[in-house]
Amino acid sequence: MYKLQLDAISKQSNSMVFRDVDNTSIPMIVDNTDYQQFVRDIKSGAQLNDAEGNPITGSDLTTFMETLP
Amino acid sequence: MASTIKSDNGVSSGVTGIVQTADSSGQLALQTTNSAGTAVTALTLNNSQQATFANTINVPNTFGFKNRIINGAMVIDQRNAGASVATPAGYTLDRWQVLQSTTGKISTQQNQGSVTPPSGFSNYLGVTSGSAYSVGSGDYYLILQNIEGYNVADLGYGTANAKTVTISFQVYSSLTGTFGGALTNGAGTRSYPFTYTVVSANTWTTISVTIAGDTTGTWGSTNSVGMQLIFGLGVGSTHSGTPGSWSNSAYYSATGAVSVVGTNGATFYITGVQLEVGTQATSFDYRPFTTELALCQRYCFVPNLTYNNYSGVCNSTTSGLVSLSLPVPMRIAPAGTFSGSFSGDNGLVVQTYSAANVSLNNSGVNTVRVYFTGGSGTAFTGGQAFGSNAASTGTIILSSEL
Repeated sequence: MYKLQLDAISKQSNSMVFRDVDNTSIPMIVDNTDYQQFVRDIKSGAQLNDAEGNPITGSDLTTFMETLP
Repeated sequence: MASTIKSDNGVSSGVTGIVQTADSSGQLALQTTNSAGTAVTALTLNNSQQATFANTINVPNTFGFKNRIINGAMVIDQRNAGASVATPAGYTLDRWQVLQSTTGKISTQQNQGSVTPPSGFSNYLGVTSGSAYSVGSGDYYLILQNIEGYNVADLGYGTANAKTVTISFQVYSSLTGTFGGALTNGAGTRSYPFTYTVVSANTWTTISVTIAGDTTGTWGSTNSVGMQLIFGLGVGSTHSGTPGSWSNSAYYSATGAVSVVGTNGATFYITGVQLEVGTQATSFDYRPFTTELALCQRYCFVPNLTYNNYSGVCNSTTSGLVSLSLPVPMRIAPAGTFSGSFSGDNGLVVQTYSAANVSLNNSGVNTVRVYFTGGSGTAFTGGQAFGSNAASTGTIILSSEL
């Protein structure tokens, strides 16, 4: 399961996602191999939560995926 | 004075050929003649066998960063500090990746088995098979190093000027026979399977494999994978090819190679891995420890948090932010993996944090910002100084591996 992170100060998106299986913070950068795995996992159906822990599903997930680098 | 051997072009003397002179100095000078026919000493060997070159030295191997493999002597082990990894599914010793199509078939460890390393080395990467597994056609068990494109761009792979390289290493195995490996591009669309032979079990054997440069295919030349050096530990037919030629297939080893994972308890130890330009293996390129560590830290950095530097700030009653400067610019902004228990303080009171409550809040190639949140303990006041605490036993692994 993945969870989107927020900047600790601005509380806006910091373009990072947290993988809870191994407590890994992943920058959303195309060349990052953990990010590449994140994209593969989400496309394979892994759960993605927003920063508050709410699952992102359906059209919201599709829209989110379209914004990824 | 010295005895001389001169290559005379005849411009001055009118006679071409090799001209020798001798004296009692015991020294020897090799001379060539310039366009005016004047003899010029190019190399002098004194009677202490020291060589002095008069001009630049041009050889296929470069003298700086001759070895394109990082941590080829298996000295650096930031992630595990020499501990065994039972079911590696990623990086083991620095820069060395283990890939298993089904995890759990092998264990790896620096100096596993505690055999005496070969002369000139103190460390090796050890692999032990945990079962007698018959590989299926699509299976692969590998140790490999992804070489960054910047570090092999000069080899000219994918061009008509692709350079021949020689791979050399020392290997020790409980098995004998023909082992396999491959040199590939990052996309797995070009590969060169190779073989090497281990004649005597449990004996360090020096191996050298020369590979003609690949003039086709796409090879990374910047901060992506430029080249992969793979050692097969058991590879099925799908990823095994005929050794000794380039292919468009994703071959990881040679057809018929020994399968280490096929024998329970089989061992495979390796060190002194070098990949260099040229047709001959030369002596191993020993680099200073700090140089080798810095080269590794471009891809992995494990910071020490067990000290109070108060470089951070409390941003709530239960959280703090700490910026960590990275020792070398990392390849790309790293991911951060957290394990264990962390501790932080404001100089007055201490809070503790589980790994799940620590994250990277920003990540860059020069600096990362670590966010400690949900701390337990006496409350902070926002704006106070904050530092990781000596009681931290947790580990942060920053990775920008290829």
